[in-house]
Amino acid sequence: MFKYIVKRIIISVIILIGVSFIVYSLVRMMPMNYVQIKYAPLIANGSVKQEDVDRFMALYGLDKGIVEGYFNWLGGVIQGDLGNSLKYGDPVGKVITDNMWISFAIALVATILQFLIAIPLGITSATHQYSVRDYTVTVFTMIGLSFPTFFFAAIVIRVFSVQLGWLPDAGLVDTSVDYAMNFSGQMAKLGDMAIHLIMPIGVSVILSIGGLMRYTRTNTLEVLNADYIRTARAKGLSEHTVIYKHAFRNTLIPLATLMAGILPGLFGGMMITEEVFAIEGIGRLAYKALVEGDIPFVMGYNMFLAILTIIGTLLSDIMYAIVDPRVKLTK
Amino acid sequence: MKEKKTKSNYISIGESRKIIRYNIKQMRYYEALKKKNRSPEEYTSVMHDENNLVELDNLKTCFFTDTGTVMSVNGVSFNIPKNKIVGVVGESGCGKSVTSLSIMQLVQAPQGQVIDGEIRFNSDNLGRTEDGKKLAYNIVKMPTKEMYKIRGKDITMIFQEPMTSLNPVFTIGFQLDEVTLLHEPGATKESAKEYSIELLKKVGISMPEHVYKSYPHELSGGMRQRVMIAMAIAGHPKLLIADEPTTALDVTIQAQILELLKQLQKTENCSIMLITHDLGVIAEMADEVIVMYAGRVIEHGTAEDIFFNPMHPYTIGLQKSKPLLSSDASKPLYSIPGQVPNPINLPDCCYFKNRCNKRLCKCSGAYPPMIKVSDTHYVSCYLYDEQKTDEVKDEEAK
Repeated sequence: MFKYIVKRIIISVIILIGVSFIVYSLVRMMPMNYVQIKYAPLIANGSVKQEDVDRFMALYGLDKGIVEGYFNWLGGVIQGDLGNSLKYGDPVGKVITDNMWISFAIALVATILQFLIAIPLGITSATHQYSVRDYTVTVFTMIGLSFPTFFFAAIVIRVFSVQLGWLPDAGLVDTSVDYAMNFSGQMAKLGDMAIHLIMPIGVSVILSIGGLMRYTRTNTLEVLNADYIRTARAKGLSEHTVIYKHAFRNTLIPLATLMAGILPGLFGGMMITEEVFAIEGIGRLAYKALVEGDIPFVMGYNMFLAILTIIGTLLSDIMYAIVDPRVKLTK
Repeated sequence: MKEKKTKSNYISIGESRKIIRYNIKQMRYYEALKKKNRSPEEYTSVMHDENNLVELDNLKTCFFTDTGTVMSVNGVSFNIPKNKIVGVVGESGCGKSVTSLSIMQLVQAPQGQVIDGEIRFNSDNLGRTEDGKKLAYNIVKMPTKEMYKIRGKDITMIFQEPMTSLNPVFTIGFQLDEVTLLHEPGATKESAKEYSIELLKKVGISMPEHVYKSYPHELSGGMRQRVMIAMAIAGHPKLLIADEPTTALDVTIQAQILELLKQLQKTENCSIMLITHDLGVIAEMADEVIVMYAGRVIEHGTAEDIFFNPMHPYTIGLQKSKPLLSSDASKPLYSIPGQVPNPINLPDCCYFKNRCNKRLCKCSGAYPPMIKVSDTHYVSCYLYDEQKTDEVKDEEAK
């Protein structure tokens, strides 16, 4: 097991180098770079000369070729320096850790809710296959699955904020209120944040239930037709025990694969949801940085996601070994 | 015949929709019946013969498929006497397994449903009627909740595939203990463990303590089948259904497993319903033999009757297509011509008619009734229909 993990980590480093090179090349190949975007209006009205622009390009390291620029970046990373974000001015690592937690909080609540709702729904819909319940669940989750985030979010904002006025439409806290720095003031602030987060979390949960529910349903159906389920029934176990004890453990095995996707999902933020609800999470920052060609930040953010994905995959493999006694991690 | 085939292979959208709508309606109806709380009187019946453990009476089990209703078991009647081994033979898809699953109420729901007939199970829990007849459970009408008490205790089952019949994520011990904890009142975890290890010893597993802690994938096929047998005898069953218990095992293990079953039948005092398509196994094991074809019993008698005096052309064909040590290896083995008919919309005449080499004009008429040849031997074929007076009462003929 230990040997296996060490081996995986060594392979991961190679993967990360590959990923970073591809991402760097892609960012550099964008038609406009940070300097050009920032100074475009000033160049247009003549207040900044071409020499100044060239100076800035050299300053930001954009005058070099992709390979040279990449190795400069890589050299920094090896020394533990991800560089300074061009747009936000701070070191990339600091920008990420400062803004990660709000995204993490949203994603954590959303993921837990998603699992709590989707798995039981999937199981009931499988055990009542072809029933009214099955069709209803399927139709509703399919509607959720097929809505684009921005469209559904816009509808929700229109209904609950604009027309009904129940919930605030954007932001994380009410800016018009000044919360005191004492305990009760902070608690009130936290409560206000919770109210602001109802819609973003709700939207992301509703939209993500569909996939997980279908996944659970298919797995459960497959497991319920297995021979050992018939054996369990033949023992005289009640249907409830058969489904929630004998079938459920087996349904979990393929679900362990999902672990791989959860980790980057938790920390990586949700670009569109955060953008629509104007929440200053990491997803929104990354989106803005990408639009403005902030190479160090985009690189840092993508490497962060890549590392999380690799850890997630490793965790899901370890999870496999835990839920399925047939799987042994060797070599 | 040709026209019929094209008809059943290609269905128009309209027909298909009609079938699906009909199926959903039927499945809901039968599923609701199973969940209904019936009073015990509704699912008790009277045994026709006290010496029988199980009496099947005109059992009909069908599957509602997208191409139509398949009558997998089409009016099967036979008895399983106490402390006897009853062998059920027939080719794949003739309804042997579905018959046994019907006895357990384990037919794949909601598509598969028992739609008619009676399965009378002679249980000691019930007393007698006023006129002294023994009361029995009618398994067909029993609600699923009541069935839980019988499954795994009074009637148990061993399946065909030992490789997939044990839950891969639980240890052998856990799966064995479960039966004891469920059916033995007052059983504790420790007593269950002790009993499980004793059972493992009984089915001939060396190192039972080690196996107790193992997961199914760590055992060989023969060992797993032994574990399945241990599980099946844990509740001291009255009827043990063995659904092709040796098909997936290699030949040496087959013999061991059969020997074990035979020995357990004597020590545990239970009846065994042995389902197989291996005639050799039947000859070795069974006291009585039921031959099934296309969802019906076509011949039924003691092992001697069936092996020394086969009557039905199908049984005769089966016997002929069995390789013998004395048979000439250069000649190809006999095989019954033709194929099993499509089980959807079978006509009301002998299903073996088109493959039979002794066909009579009568065969195109109604399905032949069960004809009594001797006290123990019955056959459903017009070839033996000379003495009308000896005809057995038979619902199928009506």
